[in-house]
Amino acid sequence: MPSHLEIINARKAFRTPEGGRLIALDGISLRLATAEFVTLLGPSGCGKTTLLRTISGFETLDDGDVVIDGIAMTQTPAHRRPVNTVFQRYALFDHMNVARNVGYALEIAGRDKREIRTRVGEMLELVGLTGMEKRSISQLSGGQQQRVALARALAGKPKLLLLDEPLSALDKNLRQKMQHELKTIQRELGIGFVFVTHDQEEALTMSDRIAVLAHGQIQQVEPPSVLYQRPANLFTADFLGESNLLRATLDGSQARLSDGQTFDAPRAAGEATLLLRPESLGFAVPEGPKLSFTGRIRETYYSGKDHQIELETLAFGTIRAVIRANGTVPEIGREVTLHASATGLHLIDEVAP
Amino acid sequence: MLRRLLTVYGLMFFVFVYAPIFLMVVYSFNANTLNMMIWSGFTLDWYRQIFGFETSITDSTTYVDSSAQLYAAIRTSLTVAFSTSILSTVFGTALALAVARYRFRLAGIYRTLLMVPMIMPDIVLGIALLIFFISIGMNLSIMTIIIGQSTFLISYVFVTVSARLAEFDTSVEEASADLGATPAQTFRKVTLPGIAPGILGGWLLAFIISMDDLVITYFIAGTGNTTLPIHIWGMLRRGIKPEINAIATLMLLFTLVIAGVGLYLRSRRQK
Ligand SMILES: Nc1ncnc2c1ncn2[C@@H]1O[C@H](COP(=O)(O)OP(=O)(O)OP(=O)(O)O)[C@@H](O)[C@H]1O
Ligand SMILES: [Mg+2]
Repeated sequence: MPSHLEIINARKAFRTPEGGRLIALDGISLRLATAEFVTLLGPSGCGKTTLLRTISGFETLDDGDVVIDGIAMTQTPAHRRPVNTVFQRYALFDHMNVARNVGYALEIAGRDKREIRTRVGEMLELVGLTGMEKRSISQLSGGQQQRVALARALAGKPKLLLLDEPLSALDKNLRQKMQHELKTIQRELGIGFVFVTHDQEEALTMSDRIAVLAHGQIQQVEPPSVLYQRPANLFTADFLGESNLLRATLDGSQARLSDGQTFDAPRAAGEATLLLRPESLGFAVPEGPKLSFTGRIRETYYSGKDHQIELETLAFGTIRAVIRANGTVPEIGREVTLHASATGLHLIDEVAP
Repeated sequence: MLRRLLTVYGLMFFVFVYAPIFLMVVYSFNANTLNMMIWSGFTLDWYRQIFGFETSITDSTTYVDSSAQLYAAIRTSLTVAFSTSILSTVFGTALALAVARYRFRLAGIYRTLLMVPMIMPDIVLGIALLIFFISIGMNLSIMTIIIGQSTFLISYVFVTVSARLAEFDTSVEEASADLGATPAQTFRKVTLPGIAPGILGGWLLAFIISMDDLVITYFIAGTGNTTLPIHIWGMLRRGIKPEINAIATLMLLFTLVIAGVGLYLRSRRQK
């Protein structure tokens, strides 16, 4: 697949008012295939917005390069880059009405009025704001403004769209609807998306690949299922979803947990961390090799879909498990045993300090 | 107790500021030709008088030598005010943009220097300008008035536009560039409309101050160019007569109309 966007060893440091230097991007490399949907996921302040701003041309890199469709963009000013952005803080033109905001890219491109009007209508329909052409920006709710920002960025049919938390102000229903719409638009138009979100579920359901960022560096880039099941390091394992991280000692063929249980692990001897996702634990005893954890139930949470259980064990402290809502849930304080199959377990070559 | 004191203080403030203006307006309608402090009836004669209409007032009591001179003074003042306010709005806005957008050494000092003309005593400014024009061999004319007034009115526009720029969110300019607009297009379609209330405010302020300036203009006007304030000053030197009240009242009305138009345009933009 040809690469559509390529970020090569991007470095950026900011001078802080306190006189120090803050490294926002610390050697980031990322490739985006044509029409790929990549999500940047990471804690607040890890450099996601900064990375988007270097792609759109509002920050100049200290080192490294941004290449779009094979052309290095370092010398290209923002207005000549084939990239549109949905800004984290919308940045709508509040002296123009909704229609002029949405049609801005086309107005700049010198399209004729009738074409602009049609396109604006289509875009507003897409984001569920049909008939709001004449509204002024201050007459819109936060969520409506966010959707105008989205429509405005899409109207010019960019090759590449950067979205900085574009759905953060929407309620759950609207959010899910817009997630589907966005995914459909992205697939139909065949444009690349670089998407920023704090919502893990959103990242997992929408992305072709997720890039986990921390401290200005990419921790791991993988498709959602790989990232979830086989995180490369403790940060990714911990950041994405719930996890039980258990220390294991390897002897070359077997791994031993701190309570003496063992399982097959044909890899180099040393220390590692076993990742057990809560949903891999259950009351049913699996066939074949297994791991078992006995303890007292400390807390249960009901989420609608399932019950989350916190099991207090002697050897490992709290172990989390997720049980389907139609199963019966033992009451708090009871002593129970949870089991997990011991095949295909994921070990992380890193131990918590 | 404190509340009462503050109320009284507030009332006195308004009395001191507005009583003279109020009296002036009242006197401009007073029919008493001998002593304008004593009310003897309502008349519009003073207004008719300054516009050169026939009135019952005999010529000996008035000092408007001829309404032609007054008209000429008004014309000069308007010409000066329009030219100066436009000139200083263009330059003041450009300076405000430069200082707000570009980081350069000594920007702080530059900003301060730009404000100095506002606190400089008029006399000093007047003398300085006069000496300057003479030393470069420029004859005093309407041109020197326009240039001279612009030098300090730029400061007023600079301050008004700077205030607006400070609260203007530059992220919309980025959004505009992001959507493909060249810097010039962004300026025209986003920046300019965004700071327009500040520019308009600065322009009106410059216009009103220009119309009203006496001291500085007096120094650099030369003999042939009489602005309205200079004309009124000339009349006053021969004694205060009621038609002065009428002229001042008209000027007040004119200023209020301009300020009102400014406020109206501003409130319409913000909606
Ligand atoms: N113009 C700037 N000057 C100085 N520091 C900056 C500047 N812009 C960003 N930073 C710093 O760079 C770091 C990365 O910021 P960035 O906005 O990219 O974070 P983010 O990942 O988008 O966070 P969030 O999820 O909260 O939006 C932060 O520590 C921030 O304080
Ligand atoms: Mg951000």
